[in-house]
Amino acid sequence: MRWLRFLVGLLIALTLHSLLDSFFPNALAFFNPYVILIVYYSMGGNIFGAIVAGVIAGLVQDAYSGAIFGLHAFALTVCAYAVAYINSRLVLRGTLAFGACLVGAVIVNELVIYVLVNILLKQKIEMFEQGMVVKTIFTCLFGMLVYQLLTLFLREEPIEATRRPAGW
Amino acid sequence: MAVSADVVPRRPTLLFIVVLGLLFILMSLSSRTRYIGETRTMFERTVMTLFSPVPKLVNWLGQSASDGYHGYLDMRHAVNENLELHRKVAQLTTENLQLRQSEGDLKRLRALMDYSEQLSTPSTLAHVLMLDTSGRFKSMVLDRGSAAGIDVNDAVVNASGLIGRVVLTTKDMSKVQLVTDGNSAVGVLLERTRRQGVLRGDGGSGAQLYDIPSLADVAPGDAVLTAGIDGIYPKGIPVGNVVKADKGADLFKSIVMKPSVDFGSIEEVIVLHTRKIPHDVVRYAP
Repeated sequence: MRWLRFLVGLLIALTLHSLLDSFFPNALAFFNPYVILIVYYSMGGNIFGAIVAGVIAGLVQDAYSGAIFGLHAFALTVCAYAVAYINSRLVLRGTLAFGACLVGAVIVNELVIYVLVNILLKQKIEMFEQGMVVKTIFTCLFGMLVYQLLTLFLREEPIEATRRPAGW
Repeated sequence: MAVSADVVPRRPTLLFIVVLGLLFILMSLSSRTRYIGETRTMFERTVMTLFSPVPKLVNWLGQSASDGYHGYLDMRHAVNENLELHRKVAQLTTENLQLRQSEGDLKRLRALMDYSEQLSTPSTLAHVLMLDTSGRFKSMVLDRGSAAGIDVNDAVVNASGLIGRVVLTTKDMSKVQLVTDGNSAVGVLLERTRRQGVLRGDGGSGAQLYDIPSLADVAPGDAVLTAGIDGIYPKGIPVGNVVKADKGADLFKSIVMKPSVDFGSIEEVIVLHTRKIPHDVVRYAP
């Protein structure tokens, strides 16, 4: 069931990606729906699931963006692992906690991408800091809104809300 | 908030490192292939193919919405244009009718003026206000009267021929007795044989010729003109044609004539101010 929900979330993220690409081509520079999905999924605390989700979501994002294939997968996997790792130790719930995780995840995501692009392509991302700040703000606001809506209207909790026992 | 360490799995960390390693290799391959022209690896193509319905669907929905919106706008535009064209068609149709009317008027008036120029008698152009050809008493009312010089017994004609005579005038209107009226009498002659007779209206749409002897040469189709002997109508105005000429019961023929004027379509007429015979002369006339 959780994978089905993740798949639905991934399809929605991809739909958003396509819509924004079609109608507002620059919008994805300020907003990343995949990070929201990954953070939402990883807040369940299941590290294994978070890694797999990060890889899948990242590959999908890579497939439909012009980046090196695997770049976003790498960055999202790091984010997913970090969020899931923290949530496996601390039970973080609520919109503010989700927002905090989201802020951290976006920053980590951007930093990882920055480093990888530097290493692999020997290029520097222009106006990286400004872009990161804007993306963090918008992604965080949108993600918190989505989280709030899911909590209020669908009585949703982050996927895999109850931590599983150790082992996979 | 703190959770005991035994809850945290260790193997996922190993998996995490392995996955990152694999992804790094994948990225390296991908970044290399970029420089040799191949920008999509097989793996990338597979992922794209798997999820391709989503962008296609989004694109289709966007395109459909865009098409629908533009279709709606086009439809609104077409509806407005259609209404505008309908309005223009109505306006142009009205103008066309007015122009046709004017053209018809012009033709008629021109014909009438040409005809009036042929006449040596002073004349006045008048419009028909009322026309009564349905009853036994055939008459019409004109929009000109004594103020325009029209007098009783003035002859009324148009380009087709004789219409009748003025029987009553006011300052600005006059009444005309048509030649088809039952009480009307006109001195006429047959153009071909110059035989004279009297034309009387039959109260319908025709008239009859009287006082033509049985032995006179009269044939259907013969043109009938005013004779100019009655002191009212000038000589030579076309009146009509003989339709039927039978041998009558007595000394005179029974002749049916069709007037040359279509009394149902008269709009303008010429009133001829004929020279009147003084009353004294009329009184002592034989």
